[in-house]
Amino acid sequence: MKIIILGFGAVGQGVARVLSMKKDYLNDRYDLNPQIVAVTDRSGAAININGLDEELLLKTKKKTGKISSYPEYGTADVSSLEVLEDVDYDCLVEVTPTDIDNGEPARSHILKAMGDGKDVVTSNKGPLALSFQELATSAQSNGVEFKFEASVGGAMPIINFAHETLAGCSVQSIYGILNGTTNYILSRMANEGSSYEQTLTEAQEMGIAETDPYQDVEGIDAACKIVILANSVLNLPVTLKDVEVEGISRITAESIALAKKEGLLIKLIGEASPDALEVSPRLVPKGSPFAVEGTLNVATLKTDLADEVTVVGKGAGSVETASAILSDILSIWKIRK
Amino acid sequence: MRFNLVLDLPDVPGQLLEALEPMGRLGANIVAVIHQRDVKTERGTVPVQITIEGDKETLDRVMDAMESKDIQIMAVDGVLRKEQITTVLVGDIVEEDVKETVTLLNQMEGVRVADLDLKMSDEPKNSATKIVMEADFGQKKEILKNIKEVGDQKGFLVINEV
Repeated sequence: MKIIILGFGAVGQGVARVLSMKKDYLNDRYDLNPQIVAVTDRSGAAININGLDEELLLKTKKKTGKISSYPEYGTADVSSLEVLEDVDYDCLVEVTPTDIDNGEPARSHILKAMGDGKDVVTSNKGPLALSFQELATSAQSNGVEFKFEASVGGAMPIINFAHETLAGCSVQSIYGILNGTTNYILSRMANEGSSYEQTLTEAQEMGIAETDPYQDVEGIDAACKIVILANSVLNLPVTLKDVEVEGISRITAESIALAKKEGLLIKLIGEASPDALEVSPRLVPKGSPFAVEGTLNVATLKTDLADEVTVVGKGAGSVETASAILSDILSIWKIRK
Repeated sequence: MRFNLVLDLPDVPGQLLEALEPMGRLGANIVAVIHQRDVKTERGTVPVQITIEGDKETLDRVMDAMESKDIQIMAVDGVLRKEQITTVLVGDIVEEDVKETVTLLNQMEGVRVADLDLKMSDEPKNSATKIVMEADFGQKKEILKNIKEVGDQKGFLVINEV
């Protein structure tokens, strides 16, 4: 299987790492020999139709910050779309940075690949939250596979879990903590009694919150994931603007203390159901499945047959997120081989 | 026939007597009363289990009489009649504002504000209010929506239950 990776940040590098780590395992167990034939980042691309070396890709990126400095096969004068046009491949792994204004350039990458009859795996929330129906329709009309397990909850299985493991059940609603950064901040505030500002600064120093934390703390990131779940699991054709969003920046130490007195915690909860699309701070009982700490993600699916099923897992991390991408690659492989 | 009731009484003297009064007056027989003052709910109220006996009409009259005395009947024969709803509001709480919010909540059909807790902050906009309500069973979703509307009107951040 020939793979192109567009975007070589934490997730892209994670994919290269797991493909390298799991080489023998994939071969022995699934008869799969994934070859990375091209990788792009802001600097350009590395292209080799006989396969690039995963470890060398990682080393080059770490040393120079540029994939275009890959020995012999690196090039600065090529765009991602040109790579998709010129290089022969089977599956696109689209992991460029998320853009929630127009979903680009990921949206164009994905549509181009689908138009050329290639399967697509992505972790990119932007195009999914803004143009889900367009992408799903394109995948269908071009007869290609389109997988995006890594876009929601990182390593926590949810989309494929709902479709495959819970096959036969109708999912009626999904509630979840879908953003690790805000869960970390709220957990710390509850444990330490500290203020929001203080805790955010601490999280930024630890690298858990980004320098510009807007999308996380204002609930936008969680809202994107709610849109993806609503479309893919509940079949609701909605986009980001349909979600009612309230973040955690107005949560105070006082409100957390009052909730605590009643045996409750404040968590940023996303809700997707035919009646409501919402991200907002909510009260959850201590000891409930939602009372997870740190950067963990959790989601409860309410179904007709199995009643409530809850999954918990790591919502971020390079290799963790790449594990979800690998599972998508494998399910495509099982269909194609 | 028999009814098993679960009442939720404030922990002040005379409450149990007050709750039992309609039974004697209207002619229902008390089969059992389980009252342990030491076992309290988180809010400090005392749950009391009572079994009463009589014909259907008498028992219905007794329940009506109890409710008109504002005695909280939480469950009948294991079926919940009331449920507790907790909400936390964040924002500037000048006394009147909270009062008015509580009034608005109390005016909602089937809702009674049971407990109120305030935590003031040096920064007035960071202050928080916890409101515990008792509501007719099954209304939760509708009530949560109304609470949100009331809070939004007043400029509070409303933190509802899931």
